[in-house]
Amino acid sequence: MTETTFTEINPALPARNVLESLRAVIDPELGLDIVSLGMVYVVTVVGGGVNIEMTLTTPGCPLHASIEADVKHVLGQVPGVDEVSVELVWDPPWTPDAMSDSAKSSLGFW
Amino acid sequence: MIPPRLGADGAPPALPIGTLLLGALALLTGSVTLLLGARALVGPINAPALVALVHVYTLLFVGLVFAGTLQQLPAVMFVTKLAWPGLGYVTTPLLVLGSVAVVHGFASGFTPLWLQAGAVCVSLAWLLLLTQLVATALRRWPKDSGSHALLLSVLFLTFTVIAGFLLASARTSAPVAMTVGYPVRLHLTLGMFGAFLLGIVGSGQKLLAMFALSKGGAQWRVRAAMYLVTAALVAESVEAFARVDLGPVPALLIAAGSLMQLLEVHAIYKRRLRKRLEAPIQRYVLAHAFMPVAGALLLAGQPAAAGAAFLVGFIGLAVSGMLVKITSFLVWTAVFANARTGGVSGGAPLLRDLMRNELEPVTTWALTGGALLLCATLIFRDQALAYASATLLSVGAASQFAQVVHVVATTVLAGRRLARSAAVAPAVSAEEAG
Repeated sequence: MTETTFTEINPALPARNVLESLRAVIDPELGLDIVSLGMVYVVTVVGGGVNIEMTLTTPGCPLHASIEADVKHVLGQVPGVDEVSVELVWDPPWTPDAMSDSAKSSLGFW
Repeated sequence: MIPPRLGADGAPPALPIGTLLLGALALLTGSVTLLLGARALVGPINAPALVALVHVYTLLFVGLVFAGTLQQLPAVMFVTKLAWPGLGYVTTPLLVLGSVAVVHGFASGFTPLWLQAGAVCVSLAWLLLLTQLVATALRRWPKDSGSHALLLSVLFLTFTVIAGFLLASARTSAPVAMTVGYPVRLHLTLGMFGAFLLGIVGSGQKLLAMFALSKGGAQWRVRAAMYLVTAALVAESVEAFARVDLGPVPALLIAAGSLMQLLEVHAIYKRRLRKRLEAPIQRYVLAHAFMPVAGALLLAGQPAAAGAAFLVGFIGLAVSGMLVKITSFLVWTAVFANARTGGVSGGAPLLRDLMRNELEPVTTWALTGGALLLCATLIFRDQALAYASATLLSVGAASQFAQVVHVVATTVLAGRRLARSAAVAPAVSAEEAG
């Protein structure tokens, strides 16, 4: 499963809590949250600003705009967050190995 | 390196969605018309009514679904913006008007004027769509074989409709007839294999792998399919224009190209990580079972039944599966992307919740049964089989149309509900604060 990297310069807003909030962002095609799918690579918190580096299952995924908007919507409701930016990255590319075991199980991998 | 922005940069959503709905409606209209005159299936296969219905199927069902898909898919496959995104406002009406004129031309007993006028409109529309596709590709030239196969398929589709125009012209103009002859077989081969097979090969590799979460695809198989089908079309052209008999060479090349597609789909399916595929994707995979059926019928000396197995069985089921899946993606994205309520977290439905699950098996098995019975009808020339086939095809087409209409209506209504609740929430908060 993806090991998310954390950087925080605001102890009042732990990056791990930000990652947990992202479990509310669901991929509408797979029906699973983006954290369990292993799409979130880096969470950076500087003051009230949050930057998320994340990927998608495939470059060109037509759902990118909605997932990006959902990340901003969800984090915008977290107390202490003033600004959210999302960077989509393709290196390393997403593979199903990035998913948590429970996510693999719910997609019927086994 | 700045990663490329992703491809939600297609045409205005109403364009592809409207074109796909028209395609689904065309299949329903054609199937019901066939049911009303199913007796024609036991008569000559080049009878005006049957040729007209074949063109309802190829130009209005498969053609419109293909044209609608091209308003979004290239942006996804080439990971760039679609060139001239509003072009569909010109091409879709041209395709519909031209195709209706062609169908009327055939149905009224091969009337040259209608056929030529329709063929000009359809050829112009496909030339514009080809230009748009090439212009999109030039923004970020794709390196994968699937994208190359898609480009080639649209080129061959344009050649197919131009060949149709030449056929219509050869009926009235002696010089045209003297120059190009009457290359019906080339027209059929270009359309069925160059356009439709390669279109499925090209788009299917990316889409099936994406929906099945599979790493089983191989560039070399897609490239081989592309080269083999292209070589077959060159051989057919040599036969048609140079009047050289190449015997079974074109058919063998097409069989080898089709085998590559079968192997590719098998590899993607076998190495999929998402074991439970959605019903439309299962239908797309099932479609490939008709390829060996078509080959066996051809070997058994039943070319008409083989053509039906390939066109209605393989192409029909594959296009139907992708039609339903792509429609749900397009409508969901159009309604919920960038919505200020958020996506699923804000109450938007999941893609799978947009469909009426009970309709999917009806569509799959009615279209499959209808295609098989159509093959049987063309072999045994039996009227009862003809009616049974047309009935099943109509049921499948109606179920498919009901599904895409349901997907669009459900999504739009869910979007409106969310927008209303988002508008009410701040007002309530403001009142509470006051």
